[in-house]
Amino acid sequence: MRRGTRFSRSSAAPAAAALCLLAFRLDAGQIEGSVIVTQRLTKPRVTAAADGYQRGVAVELASDGDFDWLAYERSHVVIYLEGRLPAPKNSRVAVIEQKNRRFVPDLVVIPAGASVSFPNLDPIFHNVFSLSRTRSFDLGNYPRNQTRVVTFPKPGIVVVGCHLHPNMSAIVFVAPNQWSTTADADGRFRLADVPPGRYTLVAWHKRAGYVRHTVDVPAEGVVPVQFTIPLGNLEGELHSGLRREEP
Amino acid sequence: MRYFTRAFLSSFVPMAAVLLGSFWVVHRLVESAARNSFRSSLRETQEFMARQHAQKEWSNARSLRVVAENPALKAALQLVRAEPANPDARATLEDQLRELNQTLGFDVLVAAAPDGRLLAGLLRASAEYMLLRDEVQRPPAQGLWLTGRGLYQITAVPVNLAGEHIANLSVGEPLDLSDFATAVVLEHHGRVVRSTLPEVSSAEIEQALRHCPPGEGCDVRLQNATYHCLPVNLPALGRDYRLYSLRNLDRATAPTVAFLRRTFVFAWGGAIVAGLLISTLSSRSIVRPIATIVRHLRQAEHTGRLAEFCPPRWSIRELDELAQCFRRASLAVREADEQLHGAYVQFVALIASALDARDHYTAGHSHRVSELSRLTAEAMGLRPQDVETIRVAALLHDIGKIGVPDTILQKPGKLTPEERAQIEMHPSIGRRILEQVKAFEPFLPVVELHHENWDGTGYPHGLKGEQIPLAARIVHVVDAYDAMTSDRPYRKGMSSQEALHILKRLAGSDFDPDVVAVFSGLDPGRIRDYAPQTVAATASLCNLLAHLGTAGPGAPAQQKEVSHDEPLVSLVGSDRSGARPGSCHRL
Repeated sequence: MRRGTRFSRSSAAPAAAALCLLAFRLDAGQIEGSVIVTQRLTKPRVTAAADGYQRGVAVELASDGDFDWLAYERSHVVIYLEGRLPAPKNSRVAVIEQKNRRFVPDLVVIPAGASVSFPNLDPIFHNVFSLSRTRSFDLGNYPRNQTRVVTFPKPGIVVVGCHLHPNMSAIVFVAPNQWSTTADADGRFRLADVPPGRYTLVAWHKRAGYVRHTVDVPAEGVVPVQFTIPLGNLEGELHSGLRREEP
Repeated sequence: MRYFTRAFLSSFVPMAAVLLGSFWVVHRLVESAARNSFRSSLRETQEFMARQHAQKEWSNARSLRVVAENPALKAALQLVRAEPANPDARATLEDQLRELNQTLGFDVLVAAAPDGRLLAGLLRASAEYMLLRDEVQRPPAQGLWLTGRGLYQITAVPVNLAGEHIANLSVGEPLDLSDFATAVVLEHHGRVVRSTLPEVSSAEIEQALRHCPPGEGCDVRLQNATYHCLPVNLPALGRDYRLYSLRNLDRATAPTVAFLRRTFVFAWGGAIVAGLLISTLSSRSIVRPIATIVRHLRQAEHTGRLAEFCPPRWSIRELDELAQCFRRASLAVREADEQLHGAYVQFVALIASALDARDHYTAGHSHRVSELSRLTAEAMGLRPQDVETIRVAALLHDIGKIGVPDTILQKPGKLTPEERAQIEMHPSIGRRILEQVKAFEPFLPVVELHHENWDGTGYPHGLKGEQIPLAARIVHVVDAYDAMTSDRPYRKGMSSQEALHILKRLAGSDFDPDVVAVFSGLDPGRIRDYAPQTVAATASLCNLLAHLGTAGPGAPAQQKEVSHDEPLVSLVGSDRSGARPGSCHRL
C-alpha cells in the first residue's frame, strides 16, 4: 500500500507519457492478466435466519454455504490505467438494479462522466443515496418499476446506500478513463486498444486497497500482468481501499 | 349399676369430653393459623411474580426504545407518512418490520400513527408472519390483546424524528397463563375469558369471584374445595382486564392438616388412655374400702363367724369412720357370739360333770380326759378349732354311760358277758343322745368311736387304723391313761410311768402309735396337773357352777374359793383301791 502511495505521488510522469502517446493512435497494444486472491477479504455476512426463529433462543446465523468467496473477491477487483486519458467516445449507461433488497451488481466500473441507472425492481420502496465526496446525491424514495439516473463526472469511489435498507450497499467505481474493467470470476482481465507506452496499471479491491504495476505497452502485442492480492498482512488496514477515493 | 362403674364414669366421661372439646378447638385454631400463613406466603409469591413481570416489561420497554431509534424504521415510517395511500409504501414498512423482528422476535409488532391509525402490523402465526391490515382486528396500543390465536401482552413506545412524534411502535408477546405457578383466571369486564383451572366452568368462577372485594384476596368455594383468590397486579393488564391467581387451599394445606390431625388424635388418644388409667385408679381407690368391708361381711356370711376386723387406715375421714363403726359393730357381735358359745361350752361341761358325779371313782374323769386330749392335740399341731372340738368332744365322750345302769358301772367284780355288752353299748348310746342336737354333730365321731382299736379289735364298729378319726384315737389313748391312773373300787390307780409303759406296749395294737408317742412325750409336769389325785369331779362341778355365775364381777373370786376344795374331794376318790390291769378296754 505504501508502494501505491508512492506511485500516486509521482503519477505526473506516466500521465504525461500517455498523453504523448495519444498522437500515435494507430498503434494499440493489449494488457492481459490475472488476479490471484490468496485469502478471503470480505467480512462474513451476518444475517439472522428468518424462519423458525423464536424469541429467547440464540440467533443462528445464515451460513455462507458453498459460496466461492475467492471467486467473489476476484470478481470484485477493479483494474484500470492510471492517468487522465482521452474520454471514451460513446459513454454507455451502467445499471445497478435494486432487487431482493440488494444492489445488483454491487460493483460497477464506469469512466468519469458516465451515468448509472438505478431501477427499482422490488415491490417495495427503495432509496438511493451517497455521501461520498466524489459524488454525493440522494435520489429519494421511489417505488417499483421506477428508475433514476445519476451521472458521475469526477473519478473516484462512490459508495451507494439505501436509507430504508441499511444492509444494501453498492460501489460505483468512477475510473479516470475508459481503460478500466473488473476481473472475472477466474481473475482474468483484459484491456484492449491501449496506446503503446509506459503505464501504471492499478488493481483495486475494497479491502485490500491499491496494487500498482508499471507496464510497457508495445505498439502491437499483449502485455501479461499478474496481481497478487493482498500484498501484505491486512490486519489493521481495514477499509484502506475506501479511504483513498482518488484512483 | 356398680359403684365402681358409677365412680369411673362420673370422672372419666366429663374428662374425655373436656379433652375432646379443647383438642378440637386447638386443632381448629392451629389449622386456621396454618391456612393464614399459607395465604400470606401465597401473597408474597404473588407480589414477587408481579414484580418479576413488571421488571420484564420494563426491560422490554427499554430495548424497545433502542429499536425506536432505528433510522431505517424511521425512514420507512416517514415514507408511509408521505405516501399514505400507496400500498407499496405500506409493504415497505411491513418488510421493514419483518426484518426488524428477525432480530427482536416479538409475536406482535405494530406501527401506528400518533392518532392511532394502523400503519403496518405483523402477527406471528407459527413460523410465518401474518400481516395486520384490518383496522378492527388490531391490537390495542397498550394492554392485553385477546385474539383467536391467543392472548398477547402489548407494550408500546413512541417513535420520534427530530423531536416530532411520528408513530407508536407496539410489540406483543404471548401471555402464557400456564407460566404462572398457580391456576389463574382472566376476567374481562366481569366475564371469564381465560382460565387455567381444570374442570371448573367459567360461569361457576364468575359466580364465585363476584363475592370477592376488588383488589383484595379472598377465599372462594369451587367444586367443594376452598380456593384462595388473589388479584395479580400486572401493569400490562390495562383497565379492562383482571387477572386472579387461585390456589387450592385444601390441597395445599392438606399435608399440614393431616399432620396436625394425626398429632392431635395421638395426643387425644394418649390423654384418653391416661385419663382412663387415672379414672380407674381413682375409682378403685374410692371403692376399695367399701369392697374390703363387703368382702369381710361376705366371708362372715360364709363361715358364719364374724372375725375381728382390723381396717387399714385410708386417711379419708368418712371411710375411716365407717370402718371403725363396722369394727365396733363386729366386735359387739363377736362378743355376743362368744358369750353364746361360752354358755354352750359351759352347758356341755355341766353335762360332763353330771355324768362324772354319778360315781366317786370316775369323778373328774371327763375333765381330765378333755384337758389331756387338748394338750395332746395341741402337741400334734392341730388347728385351734380342731383342738377345741377335740376338747369339747372329750368332755362328752362318756355321755352314753347315762344309759348304762349304775349297778353294772359300779360293779366291783368281774362282769358277765351281758353286762360287758351293755357297757360296750355306751358309745352308741352317747351318739344317739347327742345326735338330737345339731350343734353336737362335730363331737359325734369321738363319742361313738373312742373305743375303736388301731388293729380293728375295738367296738362298736371294729374300725381300723386311719379309718378311725384322729380325734377319737387321741381320746382313746387319753381315756385309757386316765382309767389306768384312776382308783377303782376294786383297785388302786397305777403310777403315770406304769400307765405310759402299758400304753407304749399296746401302741400299734390298741392305740395309734403316733398318738402314744406324742402323749408320752408330753411334759410330765403338765400331765400331773391333770392327775386324778389333783382334779376331782366335785371341783369340776364347782368350777362349772362358778362359770355359770360369771354374769357378775365377783365370779373370779368365787372360782378361787372353790378351787381350795379340790384336794379334799380328790382324797375321797383316791381311797379306792384294787387295780385291774387292762381294764382300759372296759372304759
